[in-house]
Amino acid sequence: MNVYEKLEQIKKDAKEHIGLVKSIHALNEVKAKFLGKKGSFSEIMMLMKDLPNDEKPKFGQITNEAKQIILDYIEEQKTIIEAAIVADMLKSETIDVTLPGKKFEIGSLHLLTQIQNEIEDLFVGMGYEIMEGPEIEIDEYNFEKLNLPKDHPARDMQDTFYISEDTLLRTHTSPVQVRTMLNNEHKNAIKIICPGKVYRRDADDATHSHQFMQIEGLVVDETTSLSDLKGTLLAVAKKMFGEGREIRLRPSYFPFTEPSVEVDVSCHNCNGKGCNVCKGTGWIEILGAGMVNNNVLEACGYDSTKYQGFAFGMGVERIAMLKYGINDIRLFYTNDVRFNKQFK
Amino acid sequence: MKVSLNWLRDLVDVDVSVAELANKFNTHSAEVDEFYQLVEATNLVVGYVTEKVAHPNADKLSVCQVDIGTGVTQIVCGAPNVDKGQKVIVSLPGAVLPGGFKIKKSTIRDVESNGMICSLSELGIDKKYHNEEGIHVLNEDAKVGANPVVEMCLNDEVLSLDLTPNRADLLSMMGVAYDTAAILDKTVHLNEYKVEESNHKNEAKIEIETDNCFSYYARIIEDIEIKPSPVWMQARLIAAGMRPISNVVDITNYVMLETGQPLHAFDFDLVETGKIVVRMAHDKETLETLDGKIRTLSTSDIVITNGERSVALGGVMGGLETEIVSTSKRVLLESAVFSPTHIRKTSSRLDLRSEASMRFERKVDPKRTVYALEMATYLFTKYASGRAQKGIQFVDNITDEVKTINLSLEKINRTLGSDYSLQKVSSVLTRLSFDYTVENDVYVITVPSRRQDIETYQDIIEEIIRIIGYDTLSPTLPTTISLGKLSESQQLKRIVKDTLTSLGLSEAITYSLVSAEKVFDFTKEETKLVRLSMPMSMDKNVLSKTPLNGIVDSVKYNVARKNKDVFFFEIGKRHDEDKETLLLAGALCGEISNTLWQGKKEVVDFYSVKGILSTLFVKLGLSHLEFVSMSDYKNLHPGQSAYITDRTGVVGFIGKLHPEYEKQNDLKDVFVFELDLEKILELRRPLKKAKDINKFPTISRDLALVVDQSVSAKKLEDVIRKTGKRMLENITVFDLYQGENLGENKKSLTIRLEFSDSSRTLEMTEVDTRTKEILVTLEKELQAVLRY
Ligand SMILES: [Zn+2]
Repeated sequence: MNVYEKLEQIKKDAKEHIGLVKSIHALNEVKAKFLGKKGSFSEIMMLMKDLPNDEKPKFGQITNEAKQIILDYIEEQKTIIEAAIVADMLKSETIDVTLPGKKFEIGSLHLLTQIQNEIEDLFVGMGYEIMEGPEIEIDEYNFEKLNLPKDHPARDMQDTFYISEDTLLRTHTSPVQVRTMLNNEHKNAIKIICPGKVYRRDADDATHSHQFMQIEGLVVDETTSLSDLKGTLLAVAKKMFGEGREIRLRPSYFPFTEPSVEVDVSCHNCNGKGCNVCKGTGWIEILGAGMVNNNVLEACGYDSTKYQGFAFGMGVERIAMLKYGINDIRLFYTNDVRFNKQFK
Repeated sequence: MKVSLNWLRDLVDVDVSVAELANKFNTHSAEVDEFYQLVEATNLVVGYVTEKVAHPNADKLSVCQVDIGTGVTQIVCGAPNVDKGQKVIVSLPGAVLPGGFKIKKSTIRDVESNGMICSLSELGIDKKYHNEEGIHVLNEDAKVGANPVVEMCLNDEVLSLDLTPNRADLLSMMGVAYDTAAILDKTVHLNEYKVEESNHKNEAKIEIETDNCFSYYARIIEDIEIKPSPVWMQARLIAAGMRPISNVVDITNYVMLETGQPLHAFDFDLVETGKIVVRMAHDKETLETLDGKIRTLSTSDIVITNGERSVALGGVMGGLETEIVSTSKRVLLESAVFSPTHIRKTSSRLDLRSEASMRFERKVDPKRTVYALEMATYLFTKYASGRAQKGIQFVDNITDEVKTINLSLEKINRTLGSDYSLQKVSSVLTRLSFDYTVENDVYVITVPSRRQDIETYQDIIEEIIRIIGYDTLSPTLPTTISLGKLSESQQLKRIVKDTLTSLGLSEAITYSLVSAEKVFDFTKEETKLVRLSMPMSMDKNVLSKTPLNGIVDSVKYNVARKNKDVFFFEIGKRHDEDKETLLLAGALCGEISNTLWQGKKEVVDFYSVKGILSTLFVKLGLSHLEFVSMSDYKNLHPGQSAYITDRTGVVGFIGKLHPEYEKQNDLKDVFVFELDLEKILELRRPLKKAKDINKFPTISRDLALVVDQSVSAKKLEDVIRKTGKRMLENITVFDLYQGENLGENKKSLTIRLEFSDSSRTLEMTEVDTRTKEILVTLEKELQAVLRY
């Protein structure tokens, strides 16, 4: 076997060996075996000195080419081995993605707060301020200044928890309106809504609660009309029950407003065709409203020949019950987490 | 108010269906509860029982041959009162009775039966309107083969109105007729009653000794005969929801229903003195009322007396002594007007609300007093064979003032946001039968006496718009420009709620009323209670001092139902007599996070709740708030409770429920907290200027310190911070070790100190020197030594 044949043999051996190597460590050993100080090429270089001088450069070149080819084999094999290592690692790290993730607690606002926020945001957007007041009120603000003197038959409409003869748990948030008008030194325009807890001396059952949430609104200026009330309440109906809703005003009576109206919204469940939600009428009563009674304006220091306005009041529970088909008002105060958590 | 359509049609033309009328009332007048056919039964005929024999196979049944006009048919009847010669109500096969009960041809114990002989109850007439046990026997003049419902005048429809307290006028058929006329644009036609009088002069003597009886009119009717009232009148009373009793009672009720004027009939022979004196009751005076109860009166009650003693509670209820009975012969008929507030006081004090008191309380039309008296007298002469004595005796102190209201067209349109013409408004006033004049677009409207509720121009505007219709108004929005906003405390509430929900807590809303026995369960002191004067139950008799009462109850509720992981917060109030304080409170128990299959779970403990609150404080810019160990609350664990404080004092507390309390309430490891949101709001300082980020590196040193168990992490931190001065940027406790090898009552805390200077890079040597100084001080002040 001459040196050329030997060289060819080395190349062939190298290709075979290298192709079988499975680890980087073994690959380094193979590399030393062929290209190292005591490797196959060292032997070949020893043989080179026996070659005629004119052949030496050519042989040198061939040898270098062969070396490069082997280096390429090694490089190729290295890539293969590395890929296999990564593949092995990935395989060993593979997890069951269907196992449950870590459970975190996600809190929720009470449904009544959610509804309240929604309505507050609507009114803030329309330029209203949100006003609050005490739950323990004086008779004067809860009734008398609202055109409900003692012995007025309409006091029967609201059963009251009294604390003393003159203090009581407010039966509506109207006293906040009274306070706002009284506190307004300039006696100028007012645009407010008054959310809060109110109390009635009612036995608790599926549709009555001795405590509930109310949102009342009041606008007083020189021009605000019943048509403005209608537009405002239409906005509330659309916001709470959907764009397609319509409202209907019916005559009613509240001592603090005149004219007074009961407001119905077209049934969101049947689109006004009639169903069990709206008791077949296509309409659902959602709130009471009216133009502020002049006696109220005057009692709160406003000149009723100059000022006029509207007021309205709605029960937050009622809206929530209609919107989500809830049929027991007590659920709002039981705080059963299985109920509360539905409303994220 | 239940409105009989037949009755209404007597007073006004109604050319629409009851459904349409109901719809119109709803949108133009008063809320309609329901409307219905008085008798909802089909295929009924008047039958004549020609023969009755006992059923061969059943003791309690009879077999009747009944002439139904088109022939004679056989019917098996179970009523004991059925008899030959009776006119009866027969429901033929195919009939449907109320409740969907269908009548079919059948065989009852081998005897064929072609229908049923009916009782009034079977026609849907409630037992409260009649006391008949068996089948109903019709009057002899009923026509065989005719519709018995028509014969009984029960072929009527009823509109049930849910009246608001102002519309007293709609407590009379006449008032309903006026409103119907306005709505449908018709005219009301009232009957005129001309009483035929005898030659006997009215013997009654009337005196009024109180200002609270405004007028008193009386007739005497003699020779009356007590018997049932005519069928048509009974039918109308039933439609109106009143039980027919006898002609005298029925007539007074009928007239009250038509006119709204309550009447009272006395047996005049029992008014011994022949005198009627109206006065206020004496204190503790007693009177036995018609219902057999002895009433103790007060000086605010109006009484009708015979000049010696009370015989009736004026405007509320008659007395038993002068009650009309079957043998009564002479009637004194009273038509009077009493003070609404006094009637209201009496009826509510005695819990005695009658049809009469309800009408007086809401004001009657003083112009109908005589009309009602004459109508009733006329009916007495006609249906009780009475003879009216000559003349009416009366005292009338009502000054005949005409109420007028001025109202400009401009004010109408400005209030309504409308653009009505004079012509349009005038036509509505005409429809309402309101008299008016108009000059320079200003109306002067005369309020009819039947509308006692109308007092101001706003009331007139309501009348105008309800008749024109609210549906005609186009929706607009107020034009006053203003800035909408939440107050600072509302913003704080929203931030707190949003932060806590994002940290896994859920909002609860609980009742403010709690039991006085439990109200101080979670308060440090027993401050003055706010008590209800008339609570509905003892478990809700005072106002709460903290939302914790409700929240802990809600936790109990959930835990009892195996909802074991509960993380509640609530923003509520502490209610004191003169102040309401906004509080945030919460209660947590159970697993706040887990990956169970990895064996990992985090159960709520003191530090998770503290962490939640600390995060909230960071959000609120209040990271300086401190937790200070305390044991002041009876139901909190004395070793796991802390005040949350600021330099100015306590702003809240946190703690584990006391094990004893937990045991009594079936709870386990519940942690609670409470914060005074008003103090929090005061403490908040909004960020005014942004800080630069420190560009220079941080050097850290970890110190494992061994100290006595009694030395708190806070104390260590305080000493370190004091000694570390400005270059000490941050301190973090990251390990706690408590092994026996440390020595008795010792613990080891590992603390990372981070040093930095925002103006330069620190030298290692400076840091080492400062660290040494810290160690020296720690050893000196807290006997802290390095563990290694
Ligand atoms: Zn519907």
